[in-house]
Amino acid sequence: MSFFSWAWDWITQGANWHGADSIPQQVLAHLGYSGLSLLIAALIAVPAGVAIGHRGGKATVVVVNIANAWRAIPTLGLLILLAVFLGFSALTWLLPLVVLAIPPILINTCEGVAGVDPGVRDAAKGTGMTTWQQVVQVEVPIAMPLILVGLRTSAIFVVATATIAAEIGLGGLGRFIIDGLASNQYGSVAGGALLVVILAICVLALFALIARLAVPAGLRKQGRAE
Amino acid sequence: MWSWIGQNWSQIWQLTWENLKLGVLPAVYGLVLSLPLGIIAARWRWFYPPVLTVVTIVYAVPSLALFIALIPAFGLTDTTVIIALTAFSLCVILPNVVAGLRAVPAAVTQAAVAMGYGQLRRLVTIELPLATPVIVAGLRVGVVSSISLATVGQLIGVSSLGYLFIDGLQRSFPTEIYVGLFLVIVLALVCDLVLVAVRRALTPWLARA
Amino acid sequence: MITFEAVTKRYPDGTVAVDCLDLEVPAGQTMVLVGPSGCGKTTSLRMINRLIEPTQGTIRLDGTDIAARNPAQLRRGIGYVIQQTGLFPHRTVEDNIATVPVLTGWPRRKARERARELLTLVGLDQGLARRYPHQLSGGQQQRVGVARALAADPPVLLMDEPFSAVDPIVRAALQDQLLSLQAELRKTIVLVTHDIEEAIKVGDLVALFRPHGKLAQLAPPEELLAAPADDYVAGFVGFDRGIRRLSFVRTAGLALGTGPVLPADATVAKALAAGEPWILITDPRSGTPRGWADAVKLAALPGDAPLGQAAAWPLGHTFTVGADSLRAALDAAVLSPAGQAVGVDGDGRVLGVATFDQLRAAIQAADAADLPDAAVAADAAGTAAVAAGGREVPRT
Repeated sequence: MSFFSWAWDWITQGANWHGADSIPQQVLAHLGYSGLSLLIAALIAVPAGVAIGHRGGKATVVVVNIANAWRAIPTLGLLILLAVFLGFSALTWLLPLVVLAIPPILINTCEGVAGVDPGVRDAAKGTGMTTWQQVVQVEVPIAMPLILVGLRTSAIFVVATATIAAEIGLGGLGRFIIDGLASNQYGSVAGGALLVVILAICVLALFALIARLAVPAGLRKQGRAE
Repeated sequence: MWSWIGQNWSQIWQLTWENLKLGVLPAVYGLVLSLPLGIIAARWRWFYPPVLTVVTIVYAVPSLALFIALIPAFGLTDTTVIIALTAFSLCVILPNVVAGLRAVPAAVTQAAVAMGYGQLRRLVTIELPLATPVIVAGLRVGVVSSISLATVGQLIGVSSLGYLFIDGLQRSFPTEIYVGLFLVIVLALVCDLVLVAVRRALTPWLARA
Repeated sequence: MITFEAVTKRYPDGTVAVDCLDLEVPAGQTMVLVGPSGCGKTTSLRMINRLIEPTQGTIRLDGTDIAARNPAQLRRGIGYVIQQTGLFPHRTVEDNIATVPVLTGWPRRKARERARELLTLVGLDQGLARRYPHQLSGGQQQRVGVARALAADPPVLLMDEPFSAVDPIVRAALQDQLLSLQAELRKTIVLVTHDIEEAIKVGDLVALFRPHGKLAQLAPPEELLAAPADDYVAGFVGFDRGIRRLSFVRTAGLALGTGPVLPADATVAKALAAGEPWILITDPRSGTPRGWADAVKLAALPGDAPLGQAAAWPLGHTFTVGADSLRAALDAAVLSPAGQAVGVDGDGRVLGVATFDQLRAAIQAADAADLPDAAVAADAAGTAAVAAGGREVPRT
């Protein structure tokens, strides 16, 4: 049997769509955890990235080094460490998810804003725009492709980490995987995995759509994927 | 803490070695696959966008899910993890191969053609050496993320430093978890530094910049 | 020898870069392709080493159609120098220069030796051999580019705006270097530039292009200045071409007067007796000029005072009789407060002065004889610099 047949069999079982811990519920839960973490991370990282990118200077070097450090941290280990100390609470999963979701957004936003053509910045200042206007009307729209890439990278990362967080007791699609592994039910494992993949691809598609809407037509270009 | 480390030294060492393999091999395989693909993509522009789309989609798949998807084919073995992590490494290294080759100044390529370099010789002696810094940057990301993601393989029973996390969780034994975290991060850092040294060695002309 | 036979380059979108070009580049000479942007000069150049392929027509190198030859082999026999140099950043200067020899199979040691010879040939210090290109200045990098192109001793050298990216002082030095190299090596050089002055200075033949790839005039630089084919050429060449043309006329037989020339120890009375409005005061021992004295001012001095005591106006500059051109002499006359050019020999000793009338006579004589060196035997003292056969670098 292949992965898909296992997954498909399990997903199409009616029983899995009703009751507590049903597929729809876990999908919503997963979206909820991911969305919340991403939102908080974005609210912190986007303004910070814009500010640092606009100012320039030493802070940008620090930001680059954060990128390298971030990738080295094993999320599983971090989640488990917090779980052992804090037990299982909202903070146990929310904190690491938010903290780990910040770097891609921060780095890409910073790069995007810092990378605005100096000639354009100059022109904005020269026409008498206040700092706020320069940032909001010129720098951020131009940096939008990279900002969106950063948000997308973080979103994908958060979805993946929320899956793993099931190991420390979090709900969501990871539950099907972790519980299935514990009880040797590959169907549940495969089903959960497939759903997560579909979810991740939907996130990609969503961001592609947002990019089309939010990025000014004159600027469609590839951003840097983390 | 130290007594525990002392007692379990051989096991810790074994796990570290496993993790290292699971981190380095995928990056190397990823590089080997990325080079031909990247060379083609840099030369034939139409080839790259569809490849990039595939790469973006693959990279979006959570590591655990990809491991699971490969289980029926390759079992609960190292191979599963290595193949999945190779795919991820490729997603990171390939764009860098393309970017590195495209960043070779047009004047240099033109001069090489004008002097009578054949395509292959030009690629090997001029373009790839000049693309090395960017390619190594991609390789660094590949190795560091592979080392970190390899720990997730423990969830499907593939041995790595992730074992220390799981075991530490089950026994509520923070020491083990600390040691695991520390070793993974240090391992990643050491590999990163080794690659930086490799890059310096391969690019003597940049040293005097 | 390079021949273009009805060569056309048309791009898929309809643009015609080169339009039915017939051109012959004589062996051992420098042909400069010059014209405005988009006139097809660079395209024509790059068709010679097949970086661009013509849509129609044939290009021959020493009689053989280049389309019949293997491109890589063809290119190894043609040197190519471009504006941005294209030096390989990851190789040392000597390895850059040694590129084509190594490519054609020379052992590396021999190629590096050759590279070092070439460093000297292009006027660079041997100490630069192991440096990397980014450690060199713009001018030095361009010289390395030229050395690299010459390394395999190709009979043909193609140069695409090679000196446009450096400042004017460095550019002039590089142009001079090219001229002296060419005097020694006698390569067939095709050089593209948008600078008409460079074309005139460096070229044996100048091919002036119109927009959209048609040839407007092909002539030696003197002829281009003296007899432009039409208004377009005249306009491109520039409004003061009459004066610039004088760069090509030597001053060998220019009539010089010595009336106003007196040493500093002569008396004021003697100077006034000469009857000249201006007196050129020279150093009694070396014969070099010190300055011009105004006769009116001299009259105010006591008659037995030495001329050396008089206030003297600066000369402007002098011209070396024989070696310098009429243009230099004319410029000297314009700058001189006396309206007379001071002619000196190779050691700086005054030979005489030339008035505007005398200069005008020389110009008309040159026109009439229709030859650049209209004058008779070179002045022995002043023309040690006349080179055999090749072009001199006239001081303009």
